[in-house]
Amino acid sequence: MENLMFLAPEIVVAATGLIILLIGIFMSPRTKNVLGYLATLGVLAALVLTTQSFGTETTMFSGTVSIDALSQFFKLVFLAVSLIVSVASIKYNENSDHTEEFYSLVLFATLGMMVVASSNDFILLFCAFELASFATYALAGFEKQNPRSLEGAMKYFVVGAVSSALMLFGISFVYGATGTTSITMIAENASLLAENPIGLVAVVLLIAGFGFKMALVPFHMWAPDTYQGSPSVVSSLLAAGSKKMGFVAAFRVFLIALAALQPDWQLAFTILAVVTMTFGNVVAVSQTSVKRMLAYSSLAQAGYIAMAFVVMTPMALTGGIFYTLAHAFMKGGAFIAAAAVVWMITTQRTGDLEVPDHLDSFRGLGKRMPLVALCMTIFVFALAGIPPTAGFMAKFVLFSSAIQAGMTWLAVIAVLNSALSLFYYARLVRYMYFLPPEGKKINLPFPYSAAILLSTAGVLAMGLWPEPFLQWAMEAAKVLI
Amino acid sequence: MLPVASLLILVPLIFAVVTFFTKTKDQAAGLAFLGSVVTLGLTLYAYLNFDSSTATMQFFDSIEWIPLLGANYSVGIDGISMPLILLNAIVIPFLILYSWKEDREAPNRFYGLILTMQAAVIGVFVALDFLVFYIFWELTLIPLFFMVNIWGGEKRAHASYKFFIYTHVASLIMLLGIFGLFYASWQQTGVPTFDIRELVAQFQFFESGLLRDAIFLSIIFGFLAKLPTFPFHSWLPDAYTEAPTAGSVLFILLKIGGYGLFRISLPMLSNTGNPKFMITMLGLLGAFSIVYGALVALRQKDLKRMIAYSSLSHMGYVLLGSAGLVALSISGAMFQQFSHGLIMSILFMSAGVIQSNTGTRIINNLGGLAKTMPKLTVVMMLGFMASLGLPGLTGFIAEFLVLAFSYANLPGFVLLALLTIVITAGYHLWAMQRAMFGVYNEKLGDVRDINPLQVFSMGVIALLVLYFGLNPSPVLNMMITNSEAIASLASLATALGV
Repeated sequence: MENLMFLAPEIVVAATGLIILLIGIFMSPRTKNVLGYLATLGVLAALVLTTQSFGTETTMFSGTVSIDALSQFFKLVFLAVSLIVSVASIKYNENSDHTEEFYSLVLFATLGMMVVASSNDFILLFCAFELASFATYALAGFEKQNPRSLEGAMKYFVVGAVSSALMLFGISFVYGATGTTSITMIAENASLLAENPIGLVAVVLLIAGFGFKMALVPFHMWAPDTYQGSPSVVSSLLAAGSKKMGFVAAFRVFLIALAALQPDWQLAFTILAVVTMTFGNVVAVSQTSVKRMLAYSSLAQAGYIAMAFVVMTPMALTGGIFYTLAHAFMKGGAFIAAAAVVWMITTQRTGDLEVPDHLDSFRGLGKRMPLVALCMTIFVFALAGIPPTAGFMAKFVLFSSAIQAGMTWLAVIAVLNSALSLFYYARLVRYMYFLPPEGKKINLPFPYSAAILLSTAGVLAMGLWPEPFLQWAMEAAKVLI
Repeated sequence: MLPVASLLILVPLIFAVVTFFTKTKDQAAGLAFLGSVVTLGLTLYAYLNFDSSTATMQFFDSIEWIPLLGANYSVGIDGISMPLILLNAIVIPFLILYSWKEDREAPNRFYGLILTMQAAVIGVFVALDFLVFYIFWELTLIPLFFMVNIWGGEKRAHASYKFFIYTHVASLIMLLGIFGLFYASWQQTGVPTFDIRELVAQFQFFESGLLRDAIFLSIIFGFLAKLPTFPFHSWLPDAYTEAPTAGSVLFILLKIGGYGLFRISLPMLSNTGNPKFMITMLGLLGAFSIVYGALVALRQKDLKRMIAYSSLSHMGYVLLGSAGLVALSISGAMFQQFSHGLIMSILFMSAGVIQSNTGTRIINNLGGLAKTMPKLTVVMMLGFMASLGLPGLTGFIAEFLVLAFSYANLPGFVLLALLTIVITAGYHLWAMQRAMFGVYNEKLGDVRDINPLQVFSMGVIALLVLYFGLNPSPVLNMMITNSEAIASLASLATALGV
């Protein structure tokens, strides 16, 4: 009999999702607010349970599920994002008739991501990937009256479906060459893949499949439209959470299963990382929609994290894994702050209702919503890598590892990119603090302020006291080497 | 014994946070003044308990921070940092008094940022760990960026972005150098550490000369751009000129570039792959900055811009004295930093008053101001005289030490700098003559003189310029102690090959 305690977080999340779906049917829109608190509680419980199982290393269900430092670290990332999103969505879903669907989708998406983090078998990995993807497809198009939301969801779905097919195709080649879908077994029979030209085809297909979720250029086409069109809380889930699912899957698949093909995929990731960070930053400079700008900056950040695949030293992997958690707080928080602004514009009917997240909506935000403006400033400075924030520590470890490995050129490119990014982040700060406000002061609803403060706490804690997080990330990195 | 080094960061920072929440201008300015006076008190306490006869670290404090990377929160004060902390602690309270009567938007943020800046700059001076050092180094950018961007002149947006991005890129390149140093030393000793003194000491043991050169150059690039020196100075005239007066003074107090030279670069210099080349390069840049700054200052129409370029010219002495690499020339460079901070505060404050009371800074539109602004004229005259190097004032001592003792190693560059003294005297006197003396320009109408608070604050700084000019030993002694340590750290004479 398996020890199900190790899967307690997943079970709690799944059960909470099902319960919400079930009892939501019997509730009126006004009382449905409770569901948000219920979801938050469930995620919180799962979070606590996950930290309980830190340090265990075991496999379950004939080796298909692996509980190790890597999986637990990423579960922490996903649950943290899910927590922030659930809290903020309490306001977003106020008086909505579809609250139960929203929360159960968020929870199922989280569940999918968590299972991906633990997957040690291609079949399970694919199923969990699809679970998370389908839930987020639906969430992206949650505003049925909003054409932008629908456009974003449609694009996301079509590109996502194609990339799933590519991924499955890649998996089938790997299976064909090695005769197994277990990641451990593939690693043992790696020579079969390395000697066979099919191995190369499989690598290309898998990179394309995961690259879509990680939003690496050129598989990023869906990301700006979807991040901009989706409800901001969902963009937060997509950018901060579901993107990391691509990374944890890629970490396991490439670094463990396909380690024998390292020269091939390392070259590919080198090009992808450099192109992605540069493209993301350059395009972000000219954006006037803040959510779109955050989307491109999210590309750039994915490019930085992808450096971990290029440098491949323990330090680099620690940095990359640490970066995913830092990015979850920074980007998650930034999207929630954008959500608060969109909420302000749509309820006040003062600004551009077509593009409520336009830069102009942020004019004088320091006076209209001081807390949001302050925290947004912290988030964007963290994204730019200004100390003492999580973003600085993450870049510090990751970029320095490139120097350690003798890849000075890569560190130089990353650092120059980082400097370029400061330009558009600083512009947002200028709008918030230096331009006159267009409207009166607004009282921020509690759920938004709670979610924003949670993310800020994460960003600052990781920046000021990074030791425990680095320790966890290092444990997680050890799994991969 | 109080943990002064940490308190010097914490006190202004706490007062800054509280100041951000004040409602009225008097509250904000009063609280900020209180904070800066407490900081001054702490600094004086540190100064009085300071032992000038030793180059070792005093008031040392260390707390474990990130053991995984070998980073600690460690701070301390020695003869390199003490005078610069003193400079900051002295000028800031008077800066707050000076600007008390000015009307401006959001005074709470204005004064809060001044104190944040003070905390960040002192943080750089006391940090003994590269990670802490870099964090404070970057933190200095933010208050200055806001200072220029919110309260600056017409082209403030351009100036603030240029400053921010320019010096941020330079800092990032410096960060790459720090990474290189960190990993090379880790490889060497097997133990990760970010301790500045330890890493600087390890530097000489790295095998590859190319690596040592790369590390040295990328770190010093950050310092040179911050100093600034020709040709990395292009952010300076815009930022100094567009900043509000308090911002310009904060820029002047930002002596972290020169500090980095003394603390980190000079001890490394003789161990680089090609020390002779490095010394020539630094000397050349220093001499060039002196000449270039003076020549460009000569043709400026805007008084504040002229002062900005003269600042560039003066910072050249810091570099030249450092490159001279004997104890007394380095002391001269250190003293130039201290003296320049005091003198330039007076000059920028004067230019600020002229701008606000007459409405213009164009030198040719002024004229005969001595008639209506006698008090300003006295203080400003003293500042200008100190700036052009009149004996008896601080500027003379600094420049004399630099020129006299760098001559041994860099005669050509010293001669170049000596010739420039004529130009320096020229543009100072010419500007003074056109703006303050001669026939009063009636178009200016009735011009008010400086207010009593401004008389007091500028007067005290002017008196300090006079005092340290006549009796430099209270700060010069500790500088000499530390420069001797730097100069003797490695057998510099052999490295020089002279």
